[in-house]
Amino acid sequence: MVKAEEKVLSVEEPREISSGWEPNILAFACHYCAFAAADLAGVMRLSYPPTVKVIRLPCTGKLDYIHILHAFERGVDGAFVAG
Amino acid sequence: MKSGSNLEKVLEGGYFAVTAEVGPPKGTSAKVIQRKGELLKTYCDAMNVTDNQTAIVRMSSLSGCVILKEMGIDPVMQMVVRDRNRIAIQSDILGAVALGIRNVLCLSGDHQRFGNHPTTKGVYDIDSIQLVQTLKNMRDEKKFICGEEISGEVPLYIGAVETPFADPIEYRVKRLAKKVNAGADFIQTQAIFDVAKFIKWMEMVRDEGLDKQVHILAGVIPIKSVGMARYMKDNVSGISVPDEIVTRMEEAKVAKEEGVKIALEIIEQLEDIDGIHGIHIMAVAWEDIVPVIVERAGLLPRPIL
Amino acid sequence: MIIGKQKPFEEIWDMIKNFKKVLVFGCNTCVAICHAGGGKEAEILASMLRMRASLEGVEIEVKHAAIERHCEPEFFEPVMDNVRTSDMVLSLACGVGVNFLSERIGNIPVYPGINTEFYGAVPKAGIFTELCAGCGDCILHLTGGICPIARCAKSLMNGPCGGTNNGKCEISQDVDCAWYLILERMKKLGILEKMFEIQPLRDWSTGMYGGPRRIILDHIEEVEAQEERKGS
Repeated sequence: MVKAEEKVLSVEEPREISSGWEPNILAFACHYCAFAAADLAGVMRLSYPPTVKVIRLPCTGKLDYIHILHAFERGVDGAFVAG
Repeated sequence: MKSGSNLEKVLEGGYFAVTAEVGPPKGTSAKVIQRKGELLKTYCDAMNVTDNQTAIVRMSSLSGCVILKEMGIDPVMQMVVRDRNRIAIQSDILGAVALGIRNVLCLSGDHQRFGNHPTTKGVYDIDSIQLVQTLKNMRDEKKFICGEEISGEVPLYIGAVETPFADPIEYRVKRLAKKVNAGADFIQTQAIFDVAKFIKWMEMVRDEGLDKQVHILAGVIPIKSVGMARYMKDNVSGISVPDEIVTRMEEAKVAKEEGVKIALEIIEQLEDIDGIHGIHIMAVAWEDIVPVIVERAGLLPRPIL
Repeated sequence: MIIGKQKPFEEIWDMIKNFKKVLVFGCNTCVAICHAGGGKEAEILASMLRMRASLEGVEIEVKHAAIERHCEPEFFEPVMDNVRTSDMVLSLACGVGVNFLSERIGNIPVYPGINTEFYGAVPKAGIFTELCAGCGDCILHLTGGICPIARCAKSLMNGPCGGTNNGKCEISQDVDCAWYLILERMKKLGILEKMFEIQPLRDWSTGMYGGPRRIILDHIEEVEAQEERKGS
């Protein structure tokens, strides 16, 4: 019997964080809940850092591994999935 | 006489047989075997030489047997099907007979995964029952597996093993019958600690009439320490160690002496079981105790035939 | 079906790191079902390899593709021109696919990205069990449909050995004793006594021990040959 094991890509070497550095975050948000919440936050004049980019999805169930991997390939530092 | 071996003479002569076990060294010294042989020589009728037991590489059983044979001891060559295909098996048998070995014990062998070469390829070309059948055919028909003639006689006394308490227990007697039908002349069992359970098992053996067709030697392992008792209870499949024995070992002032006492009590009960024709003492790493046990069990002197 | 398991990432990286144009090539049949080598896994692995290359500061173009089967020629036809633009192919097909593509691709190396494990089933999502050894001489009618060749650690024909422990094999408590299962099944089928007969020695030459095997169906091969002659 073989159980499928997740093989994780080797992690980058830990480095000093320079002052003023902010992570680039990509947020995948569901149109019906998280994105609506973000909208509401806007209406309430709540702010979030400009380094966070939001992508609206019809449903986060549509989010595939590959979309997250592509995000990392293009240099985001973190991905945030809300739905 | 099928083979004329001492073990055969003892068993066919109706004596209560005593066999012992010699583990060959992880090295090249014949002295290790000779020392054990010298120690046990007058206390048993034949000596088994294990075949890379628990899949750990040791001196071959065949060579160990030859060393014992030279000392006038009747060896039992253990042969596992794990490491040899049918070509090597038959070839080794011819060589063993040429060198005067007459008793062969057929086993499957512990899986290679347990040993010191777990990455090896197990052979398992034939199984232990087919090995018994093959040896019988070599002896009685003087034929190889392929049907070709063997030149010369193949005098063999064929042994097989039985683990009475391995599950499924209800099937074990039937499997023993298969070994007997395949041609086993004698059986050496896994170590017996739970005599009451063994007595029941022997009833089933007698119901099948197997005790009339084969000589059964019950296995005895003298327990050296409470740790050993616990280990066997928990880790060795097919060995049933009653709690009572573990408790006795725990409470004993001198564990070794208690171990000997337990072995003697077991032997005494085994002797009374109808159909048990001997004992096979496997004193793993405690060969020195075998003479003591045989003597105190009143099994001396061994018959000279 | 054939069960495969992706090789450790480091081993794969070592295979590809000295090439410039790599194609991760998936197969959408068996190895896709076991999440090891389908188109999706090819895409993910390609992405991971690109990231690794970028972390290492080396330039490797890693593309991915997949076809339905790597074991029949017609499936390759539409993609071969594209495949040949790579300077190495990391195949996620089973070993059959790696061999088959190697014979067809010319001087481009084809490396295995998965370990081909066994013929197995999927009793539950994420669990794969070996059930057949492809021995070339089926005896399942004698053993209650449970294969002792594939499922007994010693391939015994007259089991069980003395290592059975609570229905498990001596090699591991995670492995069922095949002979225990066989006996239970034969008992349920009411044919346990069949197990009291000694099973004869096996002819292993029908399996891989007899050398590589080939099966030719004359009636089909002949028709194909006729078609080819007509065509030419």
